[in-house]
Amino acid sequence: MLKIPCPFCGGRNESEFIFGGPVGANRPDPNAVSDAEWVEYLTIVPNPLGPVQEKWWHARGCGEWLTIWRDTRTHDIVEGPDGA
Amino acid sequence: MSYDVQIKRHGLHALFDLKGAAADVWDWAGGTLPAQPERPNSRTVKGELDLFYIGRNHWILRAPIEQEEALAAALKPVDCRPDISIVLVSDTLTFFTVIGPQAADVMAVASPLDLHPRQFAEDAVTYTEIFGLKALVQCCGGGFEFAVEQSFGNLVVDYLARTTA
Ligand SMILES: [Zn+2]
Repeated sequence: MLKIPCPFCGGRNESEFIFGGPVGANRPDPNAVSDAEWVEYLTIVPNPLGPVQEKWWHARGCGEWLTIWRDTRTHDIVEGPDGA
Repeated sequence: MSYDVQIKRHGLHALFDLKGAAADVWDWAGGTLPAQPERPNSRTVKGELDLFYIGRNHWILRAPIEQEEALAAALKPVDCRPDISIVLVSDTLTFFTVIGPQAADVMAVASPLDLHPRQFAEDAVTYTEIFGLKALVQCCGGGFEFAVEQSFGNLVVDYLARTTA
């Protein structure tokens, strides 16, 4: 179980949050990249062995969206959101 | 096991959901509202009005249901300035009180939040989970008060009965 630091509420139980997926690359201009790069942007999500940046929604809390860095090997939150 | 608590489901309150920058909300409604709560997840009181600061740029005003009409006339939810939002939500929440020597024990079954006075101050109010449902929780005299969506009211009555049976 994670204790996720919310910038508004402080540390809260993981069960109050909904996982919003890893933070992906910024949307490229589809006319400026190759088809392969565009397909990669659309379909490949970050899945590192180690720290990954993730979005979480404090749905059963204050409603804030936040991002954390979580280490996939240890499940530790290695960097919290700004202001938390 | 049974617990030494009194559990009560309450009738409707007048509830208004307020959103916007604090300066704009207080510019519009400052004459009616209690003082602006300073800390996130805290409340202020003015007479029979409670104001809950429950999210960034987000408050809930609670009052006795008899004051709903007068408050609606003062806050003008339909005609408020366009950069803020005021919505009458009296019908959306149902409130419970859990009071007595073992109120904290019952709440510990229901919620993952640490409600010990060391962590959860007398004037604290926050959304968290009660039996897995989004719920607004605060202290009240001798115990705790919480609110869930009206449609989950009967379900929570059942959960509380099973918890304390
Ligand atoms: Zn929060």
